[in-house]
Amino acid sequence: MCGLAGIMFKTGGSSNDTGKALIDMLDGCQHRGPDSTGFALYATDTEEDRLHLRFYIGPAGTAQGQKITEIKGILAKHGAPILKDEVIGDNYRCAVEFTGDLQKMSYDLEHVASIISIGSSLEIYKDVGSAHQVNDRYNVHEIKGTHGLGHVRMATESAVSPESAHPFWATGFSDVAIVHNGQITNYFKLRRRLERRGYEFHTDNDSELIAIYLADQLKHGVSLRDALGQSIEDLDGTFSYLASTKDEIGYAKDRLAVKPMIMYEDDDIIAIASEEVSINRLFPGKPLDTREPPPGTYMTWSR
Amino acid sequence: MVTLDLAELTVRQANEQIREYGEKSEDVEVLNPDSKHHIGVGLTSPINVHVRGSAGYFCAGLSDSANFIIDNNVGWGAGDNIYKGSVVVGGNAGAIAGVAIRGGEVVIKGNMGSRSGQVMKAGTLCCAGNANFMAGYMMYGGRIIILGDSGERIGEDMSAGDIYVGGDLQELGSDAIQTDLPQDELDEIREFLDRYELKFTGTLKKIINAGKKLRYPSLEKQMRSIPYFQFSADCDYWNEKIQEDIYIKSQIGRYRIRGYGGARSLPHFGDIAFRGDMSKVGTDMDAVSKVNLKTTIGGRHGGKPLKLTMPVMIAPISYGAISASTKQAIAMASALSGIAENTGEGGMSDAQRDSAKQLIFQCLGGRLGWNIHDMKRANGVEIYISQGAKPGFGGQLMAKKVTKELARIRGIPQGIDLRSPSRHPDILGPDDLVIKVEEFREATGYKVPVSVKMGAGRVPDDIKIAVKDTFDFVELDGMQGATGAGSSEVSEFVGIPTLAAIVEAVDALNDIESRDKIQIVLMGGMHDGVDMMKALALGADACAIGTSAIIAGGCIACMQCHIGDCPVGIATQDPEHEKRYNSEVEAHNIHRFLESVRWQIAAITQALGHDDVSQLSRDDLVALTPEAAAITGLPYEPEYRQQEDALRQKVG
Repeated sequence: MCGLAGIMFKTGGSSNDTGKALIDMLDGCQHRGPDSTGFALYATDTEEDRLHLRFYIGPAGTAQGQKITEIKGILAKHGAPILKDEVIGDNYRCAVEFTGDLQKMSYDLEHVASIISIGSSLEIYKDVGSAHQVNDRYNVHEIKGTHGLGHVRMATESAVSPESAHPFWATGFSDVAIVHNGQITNYFKLRRRLERRGYEFHTDNDSELIAIYLADQLKHGVSLRDALGQSIEDLDGTFSYLASTKDEIGYAKDRLAVKPMIMYEDDDIIAIASEEVSINRLFPGKPLDTREPPPGTYMTWSR
Repeated sequence: MVTLDLAELTVRQANEQIREYGEKSEDVEVLNPDSKHHIGVGLTSPINVHVRGSAGYFCAGLSDSANFIIDNNVGWGAGDNIYKGSVVVGGNAGAIAGVAIRGGEVVIKGNMGSRSGQVMKAGTLCCAGNANFMAGYMMYGGRIIILGDSGERIGEDMSAGDIYVGGDLQELGSDAIQTDLPQDELDEIREFLDRYELKFTGTLKKIINAGKKLRYPSLEKQMRSIPYFQFSADCDYWNEKIQEDIYIKSQIGRYRIRGYGGARSLPHFGDIAFRGDMSKVGTDMDAVSKVNLKTTIGGRHGGKPLKLTMPVMIAPISYGAISASTKQAIAMASALSGIAENTGEGGMSDAQRDSAKQLIFQCLGGRLGWNIHDMKRANGVEIYISQGAKPGFGGQLMAKKVTKELARIRGIPQGIDLRSPSRHPDILGPDDLVIKVEEFREATGYKVPVSVKMGAGRVPDDIKIAVKDTFDFVELDGMQGATGAGSSEVSEFVGIPTLAAIVEAVDALNDIESRDKIQIVLMGGMHDGVDMMKALALGADACAIGTSAIIAGGCIACMQCHIGDCPVGIATQDPEHEKRYNSEVEAHNIHRFLESVRWQIAAITQALGHDDVSQLSRDDLVALTPEAAAITGLPYEPEYRQQEDALRQKVG
């Protein structure tokens, strides 16, 4: 149903063209998902108590103004002063100062508008259309940073909409994002379990479950690597997914391994994608020494 | 040596040139392949192609007699379905290397991914490194040589062929056993390895099929024949069918296998009537010349469309389930009536090709009889995902029908109870499927439509995927569709009725504003032109019939199709039985039936006040039962029952 891409630069700090790299990688596998495209990009050099928020507020001319007013009301209620804000297409974007309970504020915000991402360094850009079309709308190519994830989606079970595009932010947990290819067959069982623990779901997309599942693990002090490993035990179905936090990216792949994944690593980068053709976009004309992650495995890398 | 640079050419342009150079026996090198898919697909000339770098999916796929060298890695399905020639990969291969090969040699110098050699029939797949899980899954012949470790479940459900492992034998698959390796085989392998400069000094472990699952352990007792029409009659709760089922199951202790479709009463086209004044039907005996029935199917993505003289096609029926003579008769009839025929599973015969003017070639998961040469002489290629009679299940062809000739065409061992795979090796999701569709377009030079056959299951999701995967049309099969052999329980109880399937399909396409992006050919238990008219008015672009064509051509509907001793020579591969079938005579019977269908369609279209069959709409229909009204959303107007009965009496 989808194509995945993930990249982490080991050198060069936050000046790397992560946006450009992911546009190229996703353009290389756009055939796997023509419906929507998304990017989770991490910029660094951000201040700890500052959060970047992105919302989907619908097309211009609809109820955008009212939504923004409502968002501002919730932010004020939670003591999060807005430092700057802007409307970009269907998105409302703002930076706030915040040190309170993010999960609580996120759930309140979700009741007035659809949150795309919240993070101190993470911003998610996702919409219907191809990698280049989404870039045209959100200038993804200008984004620099250390690492990021990307996704092209072919909608099979849930709707084609900006909200059901990937990456998924782990609602309530700063800077956690995932992209996923596959189906989680014990979706409802795990969703009920997480809902009983107080987590809220905002789509019927099984990929959102992975994001919240990981957030729950991280909240309980489990490392991203261990959480990925545990997910292979806990999730049923067939899946390959990538996850990222402020400092890490990682993958997990189920034992059936029918959702492809290939990776490349050298002294400068680690790149993972559904197909080698995506990684090769970063190295035109150069054959790469790639590896296929074995079935039922997981791994993380930190910057 | 000619140089083609993929930094400058698209794969499609490069493949066209490779084929042209192939015809001139000119070798080719490919620069900057950058892991792109479909390099060298569909090449049928004995030339050398050197790919300098890594290739993507299906490199050298669907080729015959060419020799490929790829310096670095390949993606999924390297050497897919090759007949002769060689594919040598310097690096690693993704999943299903050497899938469905019918001969030739595929050599991977690095490691290879999971399920390599799946459903291979002949030839050699050799891996100098380690294999991932299930190498040789469902293989029917040929040999796999793995110099490194075997991976888990090696030889899973293999039917025949040999697997040799130099490293650790990690785990045997279901119905695979280890056996002794004769010296002469080892010598042959060493000769092969020397030829490809692969160093190996150790010993090999040999794995073959254990033979425990090739035949059903218990045979069905043959009962006195109950004709299908009696069997499926709308009778009491306890009826002859229930009685027969119980008798047979008391003997065999498992599900039954039988031919024909489900026998339960389901909402169907008989529960729909026409709103217009049907007394006009038949008043103009020349309706056929006054109503336009011409229908074009396919062609939305550049291929040459099928041109039908009426919105009717023949449903896919396999050579295997029925005899070559029957396939030929149907092909002749389709040509006489100006419509399209479909090979079904199991390959294309010359007689069928020559007799049918328009022939769709069908590709199933077992790739039985699938090959590039018949793809190139087909008028359309079709990917079978499932069928209405048994959605989600593979086909069954019992041993009696797996004759020497049939086994040769399919590339399988003779005399096994063939259970065709229910899944394609390389289609595990819609994202893989789109790459497969592109492979078929590359292999056929984008000249023919590519369609998908699907049994009605999750129709709204599936048909949306069909649009996104760029199919030209979908053959949508409801649960009333028949089969040559299927589990009786599945035929009866699994699937979505044809009536619901077409309604769901049209709604789903409208939902994503894509009704004009794909055409629907509906099938599944349609009797004649009256049923088809209703399907067309509900939104089908054309309809396909199988059962009624077979009955027109002499079938007595005894439902013993799976046994292979067909009394009229249709569902058999036994020459003695086949002798009873006269293709020429039956072709004309089928043709005359098709012409009666044509007249029905024309006469009813005219009575409804249209002069073109494409003008039919839902407004022309009413529902006769609450169930049919609920399924279709048509107004419930039972008072039309009398008119419908009168129409059936008159033209049915």
